[in-house]
Amino acid sequence: MSLLKLSWKNIITKPLSSGLSILLLSSGIIIILITLLTFKQIEEKFKSNSSNIDLVIGAKGSRLQLVLCNIFHVDQPTGNILYARTKSISKHPFVKMAIPLSLGDSYNSYRIVGTSNEYIDSLYKGNISKGRHWKQPMEVVIGSSINKKLGLNINDEFIGNHGIGESIHSHDEFKYKVVGILKQNNTVLDNLILTSLESVWIVHGGDSHSKKGSFELLSQSEIDSINKEQAHHEHNHEHHHHSEKDNTYENILQKIDVKDREITSLLVKYSSPRGKFTVPAMANNSEGIMAAEPSIEIQQLIELLLPAISVMKSMALLVMIIAALSMFIAMFSSLKDRKYEIALLRVSGASSKQVFTTIIFEGMLISVIGYLFGLVLSHLGMEIFSGYLSENYHYDFTGWIWLDTSWYLLFGALLIGIISAIYPAIVAYKTDISETLSKK
Amino acid sequence: MIKTKNLKYRYKNSEDIVFPDINLSQGEQTLIIGKSGCGKTTLLHLLAALLKNQSGKISLINNDIEKFFGAKLDKFRGENIGIVFQTPYFIDSLNVEDNLLLVQKLSNCKKDKERILKVLEDVNLSSKLKSRVFELSHGEKQRVTIARALVNYPKLILADEPTSSLDDESCNNVINLLKKSAKKENATLVIVTHDNRLKDVFSNIIKL
Repeated sequence: MSLLKLSWKNIITKPLSSGLSILLLSSGIIIILITLLTFKQIEEKFKSNSSNIDLVIGAKGSRLQLVLCNIFHVDQPTGNILYARTKSISKHPFVKMAIPLSLGDSYNSYRIVGTSNEYIDSLYKGNISKGRHWKQPMEVVIGSSINKKLGLNINDEFIGNHGIGESIHSHDEFKYKVVGILKQNNTVLDNLILTSLESVWIVHGGDSHSKKGSFELLSQSEIDSINKEQAHHEHNHEHHHHSEKDNTYENILQKIDVKDREITSLLVKYSSPRGKFTVPAMANNSEGIMAAEPSIEIQQLIELLLPAISVMKSMALLVMIIAALSMFIAMFSSLKDRKYEIALLRVSGASSKQVFTTIIFEGMLISVIGYLFGLVLSHLGMEIFSGYLSENYHYDFTGWIWLDTSWYLLFGALLIGIISAIYPAIVAYKTDISETLSKK
Repeated sequence: MIKTKNLKYRYKNSEDIVFPDINLSQGEQTLIIGKSGCGKTTLLHLLAALLKNQSGKISLINNDIEKFFGAKLDKFRGENIGIVFQTPYFIDSLNVEDNLLLVQKLSNCKKDKERILKVLEDVNLSSKLKSRVFELSHGEKQRVTIARALVNYPKLILADEPTSSLDDESCNNVINLLKKSAKKENATLVIVTHDNRLKDVFSNIIKL
């Protein structure tokens, strides 16, 4: 029968008031931990996915959009640029790596990315867990999450949808074939379908409107002309369709002029820090092309999120203060009933220090229980919530990561327990046993 | 065993209470009787060192209790003195056994469940070992406090009005139990009371 056990028994004898304090405290912990868990993972995904990219080059538009779309695959493309125009950048002496990306199609809302093998091997250090890299057009390598969530496997074939997200129309004449599955590596690779640039060119080969940049805002006259072209093109398509069997992919590819081949962006890594001073300027001076530095854009985005996080933190703080108050009130009001118990403890040999400790233990126990509840529930909640998040953003979140902040929170919770118990404990410490026992 | 000399106590804004000298040897059983307000409880609290002595000398078990203070005094009290109050107080969140275990723990005595069962058997309540305290009747509670006072093999048992709220039959039971138990443990027994029913059962009576 230790003092700690006595404190514990005192807590469970008053399940309602103890429960309220625990509930409030754990609510505060949950608010703060879920916020931090989400933010930390967003920040980490941003940083780990962009750590090797110094510059994104793409069609003129919003820089943040360019970064979000081409690095994190969460926003729409800003448009397309001519691949040929980026050659001078790729060959620049300060450029170590320049990886082209061609976006625009998706399968079940997972993006199909036309790129080079470097994107997998050098940029994100992805490893094939099953199968192999693509060798021919229309062969794809899929991320581990796609394998798990869509059940796509080696040798499976599928048809891509034009557009990212909702289907605009499907390219049903061209089938992609899965040849490789990547190991999970917690980068964007997990949620992408990767293929060669050529595959995308082939699929979009006949699409005249793609040359204009499929995602640019168009004037009415342009739309009219596109519609006309499209009607014409669809007519052609029929022919094309009939003769498809005679056409190999190489033949289709040859029909697209090298000068007309487009990409959505070029991801650049410098070989020298001096690249920073020349390469962006070079890109920005080219017609219709723009460069964005991921580090700057991400920093801005994070700064945008910070006020929201402070709001959540203040809310959590408020709830914690209420928790402390509730604990204080519960303990202080029960002190009246426990006056005799305290006197009894003293009569039985407990020193006033031990009585003090018992009350402090009680506060600490409640706060530790509240903390543990909050800790478990927030991580569990995050894990459940992550299913929803990854479904919507194609990002894999998890509840099973440890935040160092949790230690501070434990410390904070204990402090709350001690602070709310300290006055009742002092009152208990000072209890005059003789006087208490004389009042009958 | 107990020796007091020139004991006086004064509460704020009131007269001195003067106590007769007391001299009891080990195993002796004494009744201190007096009207309400004559300082019976004060004397008992002085003897139990719950009240700080203002003037005169108190020696318990051959120790001048002035020697002890703070935590040491609390331990001395817990180890050597068993106290029975008029109102049976308990730690309500604990069951009977845990209440007694706590008393052993607080006075640094060894955890001894057999002893607990033994003292409960002595007061005829071994079946209530695991009962919650609030489930007991008033008489049962009073008997458990006697068991609690006995559990640490005390050298001195002090009882403050242990029978005043009991009917004649229960009164007899409780007083017999106290006398019998004290004798068995060879503990000195001091009962303060205004209950005249007890006069007949004690040969050694001090009037206040």
